[in-house]
Amino acid sequence: MKMDLLQISNLSKSFHEHSVLRDISFKVGRGEVVAVIGPSGSGKTTLLRCATMLERADGGSISMGGVVFLQNGVYADRKIIREARSKCGMVFQAFNLFPHMSVLENIIDAPVHVAGVSRQEAEKKAMELLAKMELVDYASSYPCELSGGQQQRVAIARALALNPEILFFDEPTSALDPELTKGVLRVIRSLADENMTMVIVTHEMDFAAMVADRIVFMADGIIVEEGRAEQVVNHPVNERTKAFIAGLKGGF
Amino acid sequence: MMFKRLFFILSLMFLMPVWAGKVIKVVTSANFPPYEFHQNGQIVGVDIDIIREVLRRNGMEMVVEDMKFDSIIVAIQTGKGDIAASGLTVTEDRKREVDFSVTYVQAKQVIIVREDSDIAAPQDLQGRKIGVQSGTTGDTFVTENIGNPQRFDDASTAVAALKSGKLDAVVLDYEPARVHVARNAGLKLLDEPLTSEEYAFAVAKGNRELLEMINKTLQEMIADGTIENIRAKYEKVTDIEVAETDPDGSFKDDLYTVFVKNARWRYLCNGLKVTLLVAFFSVILGVSIGFFVAIIRSTADTTGKLKIANFLCKVYLMIIRGTPVVLQLLIIYFVVFGSMDVDKVLVAIIAFGINSGAYVAEIIRSGIMSIDRGQMEAGRSLGLSYSKTMILVILPQALKNVLPALGNEFIVLLKETSVCGFIALEDLTKGGDVIRSQTYNAFLPLIAVALVYLVLVMTFSFALEKLEKRLKKNE
Repeated sequence: MKMDLLQISNLSKSFHEHSVLRDISFKVGRGEVVAVIGPSGSGKTTLLRCATMLERADGGSISMGGVVFLQNGVYADRKIIREARSKCGMVFQAFNLFPHMSVLENIIDAPVHVAGVSRQEAEKKAMELLAKMELVDYASSYPCELSGGQQQRVAIARALALNPEILFFDEPTSALDPELTKGVLRVIRSLADENMTMVIVTHEMDFAAMVADRIVFMADGIIVEEGRAEQVVNHPVNERTKAFIAGLKGGF
Repeated sequence: MMFKRLFFILSLMFLMPVWAGKVIKVVTSANFPPYEFHQNGQIVGVDIDIIREVLRRNGMEMVVEDMKFDSIIVAIQTGKGDIAASGLTVTEDRKREVDFSVTYVQAKQVIIVREDSDIAAPQDLQGRKIGVQSGTTGDTFVTENIGNPQRFDDASTAVAALKSGKLDAVVLDYEPARVHVARNAGLKLLDEPLTSEEYAFAVAKGNRELLEMINKTLQEMIADGTIENIRAKYEKVTDIEVAETDPDGSFKDDLYTVFVKNARWRYLCNGLKVTLLVAFFSVILGVSIGFFVAIIRSTADTTGKLKIANFLCKVYLMIIRGTPVVLQLLIIYFVVFGSMDVDKVLVAIIAFGINSGAYVAEIIRSGIMSIDRGQMEAGRSLGLSYSKTMILVILPQALKNVLPALGNEFIVLLKETSVCGFIALEDLTKGGDVIRSQTYNAFLPLIAVALVYLVLVMTFSFALEKLEKRLKKNE
């Protein structure tokens, strides 16, 4: 039986009076790739940020790799949160690389300072990851010297350096020019081939259909529809899903 | 830990007798020849010789400390000095603050004018620009009887202002006035004195034992002629080589007198040492405080925690940025360290460090705020703790962004230390003042001191530019 790596139940979150997530329940199995789509303001990003502890939820429960860090709206103590955090990695829309560190330093910073890995070992692992990202020659470059696509691949390598069990992507290609997205998508796809568990918030419908096992469509803070990728993209059931996908496909 | 130490110091203060070790601290304002002035690196004069003899006869030694005249009464009150020997005239106002000895010298306040002046008698002073030394009896007399005078820190600056036409007259004690007139061409003394008065030593209120000792010995010395002898010794102080610049000398002669003669350059060198010492350690203290406060403030702003600490920081910023640094320096010296014997360099470092910390804090906070929120989130998502993200990710970037502003603050701080003279700490500026008061040459010492500051700031700016360039390489 497939174990659920991420379990979210009855999650709710509001900013001031505005309710962004309403009673969301959502599971991701080990090795599964889930794409979260939906119009702007539907709560996709907030869902991701609650799952990765960047945002505090108001209610509900979240379990990450068996570690329950939020139960019925109450957060666990620091130690447990730290443990849960070590199981997940996050890739941001704006990359958020550390501009004052070289590519290599960006990647080894957390392994050395958090996981207590030796510098030598961290560097070896970092070089392997850079090879996978086709960026070996850029190890000593600074982020400002790289294109957006290259920066995002460094950010993926940085997240992978901590051996997360699950990787979250928050619109990883939205800040990139179309020709630069390819390299990033190729990397994500190769990770999927290696059975990396991933949750990807994206607007790239074709890519979502190709790489994701399952697609979740969100609107107004609730999950409107979810199902196998091919089914949601090609045969959506809900009217809103239909309209959204038609809008993306039809262009104007 | 800190409280323990503070408690220890406080208890020491109460246990210490007023003049432990029989070394008496005599405070004076040594720009009042012939009563007290600098000569060959030492403070000498009528008052100094008399009080030394008084103490010698009682088997005591003394150290002399030079300070601004208007700080002397406070210094006695707060225990910074045991005896004031500074040509103090006995007045009712002063009697309320300190206890006076018997008087030992008669003195009169006289008027100095330019030789071509139309002021011929005290009554002509009405409505004219009059200079006095701040806090002297001349100051009080003119203020009460004629009008608001221009108050100078020392007599020689007032005389220089008179000479250059900025004043119409200067009111001074007779003896120093005589010296000034002898040393400056084109000035004269009016025959008729403005007022006459008597000098006495001052001690802290209620310090009976010390006062009675001084009085008894003074009376002996008046009786046996010692006082008269000491006065006579300084009678010809105008002829004594106190190293004045010759009013008609060449520029080269002036240079020689101001800087070389009697190794006067040493005042500048020692002053520079103090200035650098104070500036360097206050920067370190200021940066430490600044970091601390900035991190508390920005943490409170972004997370809503540390509310009480944040409030305290805000109070600190408000007080320090809301009051002049000179006042902070004086308050720390006279009030906080009131009756403690603390090294003045340390006092200055603490005062300027605390002052600079407030500005540095806001500069660093603006740097922290300038860093994108995503940087903190990236750090946290990688498992770095809040403080580790702060240290490894946020602060290095923040510092780079605020380096020019920080450099600016350090330059301001370096120059602000020039108010050290207010607590009689001989920094670079004060060093120049001492030379000025000895040589009666205002131009050269001022220019020299200004040049030294300029060179310091230029060197610092150059180093800062290099650093900025180095940090720019990864942008």
